[in-house]
Amino acid sequence: MANLPISGVRVLDFTWAWAGPFCTMQLAHLGAEVIRVETTARPACVTRLIPPFADDIPGPNRAGYFNQYNQGKKSILLNLTRPESIDIACQLVKHCDIVADNFAAGVMDKLGLGYAKLRTIKPDIIMISMSGYGQTGPFKGFVGYGPPASAASGMFFTTGYEGGEPGEIGVSYPDPNAGIFGAFALMAALTHRALTGEGQYIDQSQFETALALMPEGLLEYELNHREPERHGNHDPVMAPHECYKAAGDDEKWVSIAVGSEEEWRALCRVMGNPGLADDPRFKTAALRKRNEAALDEIITAWTRTRDRWETAKALQEAGVAAFPSMSNKDLAEDPHLNARGYFTMLEHPEVGRRQHAGIPWKMSGTPCEVRSPAPLRGADTEAVLKSLLGMTLDQIEHLRKSGVLI
Amino acid sequence: MIADLGAEVIKVEPPGGDLTRRRGPFPEDKADPEKSGIFIYLNANKRGVVADLKRPEGRELLHRLLAGADILIHNVAPGERAAQGLESAALRAAFPKLIIAAISPFGETGPYANWRGYELTLSNAAGWATLSPGASPYPELPPLKCFGSQCEFQGGIHAAMVALAAYMHRLKTGEGQSIDVSEQEAVAAMLEMNFMHWTYAHRETSRLGSRLLGPWFISDTADGKIFALAVEEDQWKRLVELMGNPEWANDELFKDRIARGQNQDALKALMGEWLSQWKTQELYRAAQEKRVPFAPINTMRDLYENEHLAERQFFTTLEQPGIGGVKLPGMPSKYGATPWALRRPAPKLGEHTEEVFCGELGILRERLNELRKAGVA
Repeated sequence: MANLPISGVRVLDFTWAWAGPFCTMQLAHLGAEVIRVETTARPACVTRLIPPFADDIPGPNRAGYFNQYNQGKKSILLNLTRPESIDIACQLVKHCDIVADNFAAGVMDKLGLGYAKLRTIKPDIIMISMSGYGQTGPFKGFVGYGPPASAASGMFFTTGYEGGEPGEIGVSYPDPNAGIFGAFALMAALTHRALTGEGQYIDQSQFETALALMPEGLLEYELNHREPERHGNHDPVMAPHECYKAAGDDEKWVSIAVGSEEEWRALCRVMGNPGLADDPRFKTAALRKRNEAALDEIITAWTRTRDRWETAKALQEAGVAAFPSMSNKDLAEDPHLNARGYFTMLEHPEVGRRQHAGIPWKMSGTPCEVRSPAPLRGADTEAVLKSLLGMTLDQIEHLRKSGVLI
Repeated sequence: MIADLGAEVIKVEPPGGDLTRRRGPFPEDKADPEKSGIFIYLNANKRGVVADLKRPEGRELLHRLLAGADILIHNVAPGERAAQGLESAALRAAFPKLIIAAISPFGETGPYANWRGYELTLSNAAGWATLSPGASPYPELPPLKCFGSQCEFQGGIHAAMVALAAYMHRLKTGEGQSIDVSEQEAVAAMLEMNFMHWTYAHRETSRLGSRLLGPWFISDTADGKIFALAVEEDQWKRLVELMGNPEWANDELFKDRIARGQNQDALKALMGEWLSQWKTQELYRAAQEKRVPFAPINTMRDLYENEHLAERQFFTTLEQPGIGGVKLPGMPSKYGATPWALRRPAPKLGEHTEEVFCGELGILRERLNELRKAGVA
């Protein structure tokens, strides 16, 4: 197991909720030893407390949210409201390469775990803070969550059905996005340290990581002083480009996108209507875009009586991009994802074998795999404090009883 | 992203140019391959050369480039790689120290490896559109794609991260390797609790239904729109104070966040009148002062005029030849020791072909002229 891309890197992980844990999970996937700091003293770790729970039985080790995004990590209990815990955390930093948090700006400083202090303990430490709005600026103290970050970054304003109101985007996307940007930034900082010996502090703003994904909208305004319009599933250039109703209940749809003449002709052939390709309303890309509503109607008349998979497969065989709208069940049962070994099925001590989304990349030289399921709360407290700090069982027991290691 | 870290990135384009050169947005809506906003954003800090990889002479140029490269990143579809000399196994054999990061819609193995994917179909394939917009009362409206090119961006960000991890491994061992990134898988891993609702509780998720908690909605203000949200009970209490403790807030219908989610229509109607008296940005600040996580439905203009982003110098002006100053979103991670900068504009098509091929790879000018005449470079 030593042969992973960043084997030997140790992370002290103060992250919570989603953005931060999503970041440190990437590090665990890539081979780092990630030591997650938790406490039972207050319900800080919200993802252990919200449904879905395994078989709907609540319990801190049964939450799907926690168990998905903490695969491959260790867990230790440290009650950070106690000064002894801060001392222990500082001693652990000596043995770590990376410290990660996604608290509100300034919280790590107030705890006595700010970068200025940690670098006196470990001069080449790399630290990342992934707050809602960053560590500086007039909004630095604002409360950030993923959904409001979608609103603030313009994702809601630009998403929505044609001619309709601003829409929501279905998931708290700025959270995992901040996490993945954070993991990228840490790879960059690790590379810099490997080349120069120098550590550093990274101040990352969730707001800004979301804005980095909005160039089409922002540049529309910058170049033309015009706000982007909401077009539902339509595209500024490509047509047809929509989710079409398929046979079956309200959840059965098939998406189709056509980007070239070749694809357009193939679509018409598969629809059994090759003459449509030269219909004066549709024979060029510009005309198809202009007469999109009529085109959507014709395609819907074809898709709505057919099974979504039958449509998608026939189109893909002819070289047209098409895919059913996948539910969570569809994903779990998908033959392609299963054939690629995307899912992990590790034995978890409390909830047994559960299917989890795994690692979305494959490496030829250092194949990554999820090495362990999400940890039980505090499962590694003893082992970590013994092996890294040389504590005895008596010392650990004493600290537990006195409310430090809880 | 890797160019922004200081790497020397050479972008290889086919003779007709990258697809994004035709996507815009363009100044004054006039399509011009040298003025596409999205191309400029994605390619600043890089140099650009032209080589037609579908021709043997083009693949020879590629091999000359790879001999001096650390990392190759591409998103040529698996089925088209052989014809362009981009098959991972062959490249690994020829360049054992090279890191190859290959991005594709569905990865390079499995039954859909050769299926086509555009942003819309990827968003559906990964299960995202199926959840969106969320809590919708309109079953007749289709699953909804998020604005922009999110699935494609995630393929890129994941590839950049893993390529750097592979580079770390190479620093230790000298070994190169290839990486297969699936956009479908990357996005399917980012959908919050979606997947676990099935594998933990056997519930199929949907874009329809109601919110798990409330308030959680978009509402009109005096001059725009606000996203009203309170996640924790203490946030709700402070919001009620901010609203001036209206009597209805004590109603059983709103007793906790779950009840407020279930009775959101009533809650939205009652809060709506109060919300509509505020200006968006003022309400945002007033709520945040009480640590209530509201956010404005910002327009693009709001963002360019945002005082917080201005103080953090998030937008950065790029001098792009042919256009002038263009304000681009900047690096969202501020590195203490290695700050970011825009070092050069996005390349014109083939701008650095001669500089790189003749000046750095030692190809004779006569030969380059032949390749150009033949449409290869």
